[in-house]
Amino acid sequence: MNTLLKVEKISVSFDGFKAINSLSYSIGKNELKAIIGPNGAGKTTFMDIITGQTKPDEGKVLFGERSVWLESDQKYQVVWDENLLMKSESQIALLGIGRKFQRPTVFELKTVFENLFISMKKNRSPFSVLFQKLNRDEKNLIEKILGEISLKNEQDRIAGELSHGQKQWLEIGMLLTQEPKLLLIDEPAAGMTSNERRQTVEILKKLSADKSVIVVEHDMEFVKDLECEVTVLHEGSILSEGSIEHVSSNNEVIEVYLGR
Amino acid sequence: MTNSINDLLARHTLIFTIVIVMFSLFITFFSEPYGNGLISTSFVKTLGKTVCLCIIALAMDVVWGYCGILSLGHFAFFGLGGYMIGMWLMYERTAIIVQEAATNELLPLTETELSNAIGNQIFGVVGGYEIPSIWMFADSLGLQLILVIAVPGILAFIFGWLAFRSRVTGVYLSILTQALTLALSLYLFQNDSGLRGNNGLSGLQNIPGIEYLGQEVISIGFFWVSCIFLISIFLLFHSLMKSKFGLIITSIRDNETRVRFLGYNVEIYKLFIFVLTAIISSIAGALYYPQAGIINPAELAPIASIYLAVWVAIGGRGKLYGAIIGAAFVSLFSSWFTGGQAPDIPLGIFTIEWVNWWTVLLGFGFVIITIFSENGIIGFLRNIFVKEK
Repeated sequence: MNTLLKVEKISVSFDGFKAINSLSYSIGKNELKAIIGPNGAGKTTFMDIITGQTKPDEGKVLFGERSVWLESDQKYQVVWDENLLMKSESQIALLGIGRKFQRPTVFELKTVFENLFISMKKNRSPFSVLFQKLNRDEKNLIEKILGEISLKNEQDRIAGELSHGQKQWLEIGMLLTQEPKLLLIDEPAAGMTSNERRQTVEILKKLSADKSVIVVEHDMEFVKDLECEVTVLHEGSILSEGSIEHVSSNNEVIEVYLGR
Repeated sequence: MTNSINDLLARHTLIFTIVIVMFSLFITFFSEPYGNGLISTSFVKTLGKTVCLCIIALAMDVVWGYCGILSLGHFAFFGLGGYMIGMWLMYERTAIIVQEAATNELLPLTETELSNAIGNQIFGVVGGYEIPSIWMFADSLGLQLILVIAVPGILAFIFGWLAFRSRVTGVYLSILTQALTLALSLYLFQNDSGLRGNNGLSGLQNIPGIEYLGQEVISIGFFWVSCIFLISIFLLFHSLMKSKFGLIITSIRDNETRVRFLGYNVEIYKLFIFVLTAIISSIAGALYYPQAGIINPAELAPIASIYLAVWVAIGGRGKLYGAIIGAAFVSLFSSWFTGGQAPDIPLGIFTIEWVNWWTVLLGFGFVIITIFSENGIIGFLRNIFVKEK
């Protein structure tokens, strides 16, 4: 399996506090992974670094692995399409990394449909946007996504009127219209009813059919339902990695996280 | 559903266009040259100037009400536009006068003598006769008109590029824009700025080449041009803000980070809006000052740009007609109160003289309107007439 994102020994500190300490991580194409950890473990900072909002003090963040046949050496060599540390937030987003924030961030004054229309994958330069209209295919795509996030009947409503859970889905829907390769999802289940949670698990699993998804959570139960590989973060570095059963039986993990 | 909304909006612009055209015809039929003279030439000028103020209020509404950039420096661009057109008006008129005076001389004037005579006329007040190099295009209307667009455009581009790229936002950006207009005003106050220091440029109401028409005709002409420009800018902004571009602009206002993470280059969008509105402000200024007749650096003082924000807030930001209503309402009241026409109120031991007390009234009005209606006069009227679901 090809690796989509590779993070190599990144460290970042704020005013002497090491938020991330020599952390390495990678995710393959169409893989679903979860990151858990107590408050202050560096989960959000980790996402900030990948999406370009925070620049690490050291380390590398690479995106899009490819193998290239080297004629001279008669062997394959691994090359990376992009070095994310050189890019701005909007450039990184355009490469195909979508991010869902911890608190649902949608455009509250716009309708559900307009929210999805804005995030649609299209040329994003101001001059091209001036003349962009929706065509039939794009309209169908938005309708399809509205179905996937169960908001079909709400499309003309103002996003601010939606329930908390519906806003979370709308934000995921916005990421979908963006057609990303990698989705970073920060605490999707926060503030959801148990019904909404179940539906969210379904949505996330379906997404990983053709996208890579990293879910950051601190709710162990929710992660269990995702049935994927789990990484436990603690004080900015990886404490344990593996299946949920494996991690939750690790003594150290129990001590720093579950034992409390 | 969406179609009926579009129809309504389309009717909106139609209604606006008709209202402004009817208003212009009305004024024309009561003016001195084309009607019974019920409306004086000076009042036509006041109205024409008010229309120009409505145009810059539209620009302010787009940059602040729609894009969320509280610029407190857009009057600097307005003033710059006035200076750029004023240079041609003053130079050309002086050149005509100098040449007429010289027809009685035995020998025709040489190039240098002519230039010195013009320079002496214009720059005598600041003690000089050399024409500064920034006046090199002043003899060409076309080039000065290009400068009306280019000078504020380039200034706004450089300023905006530096500010937005460093992610300066909110109140810090407002302070920077205040500093911009203050710096420009202080620079223009200097005698060696090449723009006649605190004297400013004057006699701008005399349009070279068509002076024989008389002020009463010229004032109607400027009034009409201003109205047509107001309609065009209204239509331009209306269609811009209705498009996907407008959707993104208001999204930037509401949640800049989200827009950035969707892959839009927020800085470019802000820069686009900042430069566009600066240019439109400048053209409005170029229409305003020939009607006002004089421009001096005090016009660019920081307070002017703050008034601009007050107009838009009072009228109702985030709605184009709100900006127009605010600007027209406040500036007409302002000229009524400060023009000495408002009756003073004697309170026995103390008399309220409106010339001095108008700003106090305005301040009260601003506070009251913003407390009771977040969206200004427009929001207030909408609450009464439009039943929101």
